[in-house]
Amino acid sequence: MRHRTKTAVVCLCIIAILTPFLAAIAISEGIRRQSMASVEAGGDLYLTFDEFGRNTAIPLKYLDEVKKIYGVTKVIPRIIGRGYVQNKLAVIVGIDKENLPKSVSCVSGRMFEQAGEVVVGIDLARHFKLQPGDQFSMRCQQRKLFNVTGLFSADASIWSSSLLFMSFKDAADLFGKQGVATDFQIYSLPGHNSEIASDLYGIFQNEPYRVQDKLMVELYFKKGFMLKEGIFSALYLVAFALGIPAILVASGFGLSERKREIGIMKATGWHTLEVLELISFEQLLISLLGATIALLLSITWVKYFNGVCIAQFFVAEAGMLPAFMLPSQFLPLPFFLSFFFSLLLTMVGSIYSSWRASTEPPVASMKL
Amino acid sequence: MIKTEGLCKWYRGHSSHKVSAVQDVTLSIVKNSFVVFKGPSGSGKTTLLNIIGTLDRPSAGEVFINGNNVTRFSDIALSGLRREKIGFIFQDFYLIPNLSSWENVSYPLVPLGISARNRYETAKTLLEKMGLGDRLAHTPEELSGGQQQRVAIARALVNRPGIIIADEPTSNVDEETGEHIRSLLKELKDNGATILVATHDASFEKPADVVFKMKNGMIG
Repeated sequence: MRHRTKTAVVCLCIIAILTPFLAAIAISEGIRRQSMASVEAGGDLYLTFDEFGRNTAIPLKYLDEVKKIYGVTKVIPRIIGRGYVQNKLAVIVGIDKENLPKSVSCVSGRMFEQAGEVVVGIDLARHFKLQPGDQFSMRCQQRKLFNVTGLFSADASIWSSSLLFMSFKDAADLFGKQGVATDFQIYSLPGHNSEIASDLYGIFQNEPYRVQDKLMVELYFKKGFMLKEGIFSALYLVAFALGIPAILVASGFGLSERKREIGIMKATGWHTLEVLELISFEQLLISLLGATIALLLSITWVKYFNGVCIAQFFVAEAGMLPAFMLPSQFLPLPFFLSFFFSLLLTMVGSIYSSWRASTEPPVASMKL
Repeated sequence: MIKTEGLCKWYRGHSSHKVSAVQDVTLSIVKNSFVVFKGPSGSGKTTLLNIIGTLDRPSAGEVFINGNNVTRFSDIALSGLRREKIGFIFQDFYLIPNLSSWENVSYPLVPLGISARNRYETAKTLLEKMGLGDRLAHTPEELSGGQQQRVAIARALVNRPGIIIADEPTSNVDEETGEHIRSLLKELKDNGATILVATHDASFEKPADVVFKMKNGMIG
């Protein structure tokens, strides 16, 4: 810390490189956690029909048959669709009240009970300034008015941000599709999924059905996020590649002054190891300081500024400033990795040149 | 106590010609003497003192200090020797610009594991003795040339060395400071130290026990 300007420059380089990295890791971890929580809260199997390799609606006439399969504990038919509320695309989930996920709870008002009643995600409600008791219509069926009975929050802020729940029947009416569901969520006894799948084959052998288990859904989630993370990683890699030489240059900044200083140290009795020890200790402090400031800035960026600018790399619809609470989780491992990474870079930038200077005769090092 | 045998130092220039700085210097200096090396610029005084003080390695020949052939010492052993036995006063002071006066003086004590408080006290005592008690927190650029040289002298003395090597200690200071430095070196000699001075300054001949005149890298 003897060279304040150099310390500040190296610290700034470390901060510039590590802050987006730590923020990105935290967001990515937060999203992963939420997606896993959503998958965990869902059914053990998802049953739909299949047309041209895509999921399509499944007729409700099969519901009772599926319920009767040995090992099946519960079957929940759902309608999941999208529709515009003014200019914002909302995800509409039609599900019977008693089948709502446990993670969904009203923060104000109450759950829907009668026809035409909906509960709205708090982020969506905030966007339209909706309150319990308000009414609205949707672009696809403007004559039908929906009453907001409550606002809900859920564990998964990304998905609940543009979500609204209504009864299964209301959703069927809204989309004009009677007698079908987008999927059946099947809950089963542990270890019975393969037998259930065999029984489903018996029921649907002449129909184009598709059954997916939790693991597959989890994989889809992961794939989706890894793709978005990939874009960020590619951009970050470019910044990172530019950042490394910046740190190396900044660490070696004032090389001739340091060489002279090392010469003076040697002339006054310092051993080479003692010189290197001092320089390593300084680099350690610089790295720790840089990594800690980067961590604090990334927390501020994600928690207090809701990941402005960076969120769009992870959540496609987030835009510059997400309208929902961006999920994030700061873990110790990325911080320690960042610290060791910055330590490595600062060491590479300074130790070799210092070692060379300290193994030369002092009189040679002292000359500028 | 200090002996050199056939000491030579040469450099290779860009044209690969060998340039001799010190040629075949054999001398002997007894303990607790005040020795002055005189000679014109480029005569090899500084190079000779650097080699005797182990700041540089000779191209040929040997240096003995207290009977030990220091030219065969390892890097660690040389650092240990400088730390315990030799104090340097340089023409250009060689102070560390970012450090205050007391930090510069106490810098050689850092690797000894002495606490910051004790280092400060030691440096303060020495700087007060040098008349710089009110300049403890000043960095070199906030000091005059004479004050910087006194800080450098305090640093040279902080480990209580038995040998003081001073290279042109008065060339960058005013006459009054020069006189102060001369009397200080004499005082150190009187207290048992061996003083080696390279200088143009004729007034150093008065306190000197021995004067070596140098020319073209040789003692004449």
